[in-house]
Amino acid sequence: MKSSRAMSILKWAFLVLIAMYFAVPMLAMARFAFQNVPTVLLTSDTLLTGWSLGGLWSALSNPKVVSATWISLWIAVFAIAMNFLLLVPLAIVTEVRSPRMRPVLTALTLVPWVVPPVALVVGVSATFRAAAPWFLANTLCLVPFYALWAMPFTYRVLDNGLQAMGARTLFEAARGLGAPLWTVILRVIMPNMRAALVAAAMLTTALVLGEYAFASLLLKSTLPTQMLVYAGGDPRGGLALALFVLVVTAVCLGIVVRLMRKRGVSLPTTGF
Amino acid sequence: MTTVELRNVHKTFGQTLALADFSLSIASGELVCLLGPSGCGKTTALRILAGFERADGGTVTIDGTDISSDPPERRGFGMVFQDYSLFPNMTARQNIEFGLKVQRRSADERAEIVDRMIDVTALGEHASKFPHQLSGGQKQRVALARAIATSPRVLLLDEPLSALDAKVRESLRDEIRRLQLEIGVTTIFVTHDQHEALAISDRVGVMSDGRLEQLAPPRELYESPANAFVASFIGTANRVPASPDAGGRWRVLGRSVEGVGTVGSAPVVAVVRPEQIAVERTGPGRIMTTSFLGPITRLGIADPEVGEVIADVMSVDADGLRPGDDVRIRLRDDVERTLILKGDTHER
Repeated sequence: MKSSRAMSILKWAFLVLIAMYFAVPMLAMARFAFQNVPTVLLTSDTLLTGWSLGGLWSALSNPKVVSATWISLWIAVFAIAMNFLLLVPLAIVTEVRSPRMRPVLTALTLVPWVVPPVALVVGVSATFRAAAPWFLANTLCLVPFYALWAMPFTYRVLDNGLQAMGARTLFEAARGLGAPLWTVILRVIMPNMRAALVAAAMLTTALVLGEYAFASLLLKSTLPTQMLVYAGGDPRGGLALALFVLVVTAVCLGIVVRLMRKRGVSLPTTGF
Repeated sequence: MTTVELRNVHKTFGQTLALADFSLSIASGELVCLLGPSGCGKTTALRILAGFERADGGTVTIDGTDISSDPPERRGFGMVFQDYSLFPNMTARQNIEFGLKVQRRSADERAEIVDRMIDVTALGEHASKFPHQLSGGQKQRVALARAIATSPRVLLLDEPLSALDAKVRESLRDEIRRLQLEIGVTTIFVTHDQHEALAISDRVGVMSDGRLEQLAPPRELYESPANAFVASFIGTANRVPASPDAGGRWRVLGRSVEGVGTVGSAPVVAVVRPEQIAVERTGPGRIMTTSFLGPITRLGIADPEVGEVIADVMSVDADGLRPGDDVRIRLRDDVERTLILKGDTHER
């Protein structure tokens, strides 16, 4: 009895400690970013004074930040499209025709995470600078990198969606009723994959909005790189922007979790 | 009018033999159950019929036409699966309508057929519900309606009742049989439940290890099992000693009976059903267990000569019988023949 209470206290103490580990720096960031008070005066006395969203507004109205945001969003859209074109048919064929290949494919789609971004970028740029210099000149050259980087969880989310709906027997049921392949995919499989598709898209967007290494190494202006540049001139605004993006991303991921739960897919099984 | 024939069908999955030289012929309008333990190949046989699996050898013919290489969507079969496999994005009504849409029937015709299907499967109030709003029994009724809406040439049912609870299972079982007789569709029903198979089939095919052990009407299967496997798989079977009697007959539990299916060499045993055993209240045997099952009472009896046997007696006759009581067992007077097994008395 006594020891179980001690365990419970320890558990709570540990939780509070971890929460503080995350919360204290966040709060400090929030105060710095949103309180119009000189840094040296940010003490407990000034906890409620001078709060304002001015820094965030000026950051959000900076044309460079705005255009970088659009670039990042377009990259996300293209990366999502690229992954869907590649992985949706692959996931469907694997699930329906050769489920035994699934572990192999899951392992294969994890390969991009084994290669560090630096190695990837250096390798690709060494190859393309000689073969097709125009490729790396375009900001959209980041699309395949992000598509590759988002591949592991895109595949797993799609695969989970297919398994959750029982795609294999649905496929057989529909074909048994005389439906040709395309009818099955368009009328039966795709409508039931909507949640998985939205989840994969959200996760990819969150990744693109936060990825710094690829863009920085390839000298592209995306939201994360531009955020750093902006913070150089306006530290408060930069930090406010960073917090804002963090919240948006968290909301995105929250929606993903909701969607997956609704479909009976618990996130632990997706590996995140 | 559709006859189905599987001829010398062979199928292996890697090293595992699923079907060995399997032949089955089903008459028009007949309901045949494929019955067997899991892994006996019954589902594989059904999937080969449906076109979801390709046989390694042999042919599948419908009304004499070889359809072995036709894809499932061109076979015109209706199929019901164990896990319902209703389309989650469609209502019950839309599910039933799906096959008709694929067949490009007119809207009026579709509505008429779907209405009739909803009517015969008593789904009226559930027609506009989505699968996740339906109970297991309702889901399977939708699946059944969906399968027969397209007027399939053959109806295939893959353990359609296994996921349901006992009460629903029984009523849906009878409903399936009633519908099947009504529309006269040739039907193959796969199950591992012998009661299900015996209750609704015209004929039952008992399978084990990829082979058809016996294909016969339920009663024949029970009364004259072709071999030890069928005898022990269908119902309860006692194995009791048998000795040769005059005129090629056999002496079993004190009576002379005709023997069927003799194979191999000695020792010889006879297969006797629990209800074929009569119990007298004094003798060398001893009651070990009694279980009251309503109209009958099942007795576990240890006999010094015969060994352990199970006997079913009418509950009115079993009144007062308790474990420890002395009894004598004999073959009932109305039993005329039993399955005699010689030599290898183990299964198969």
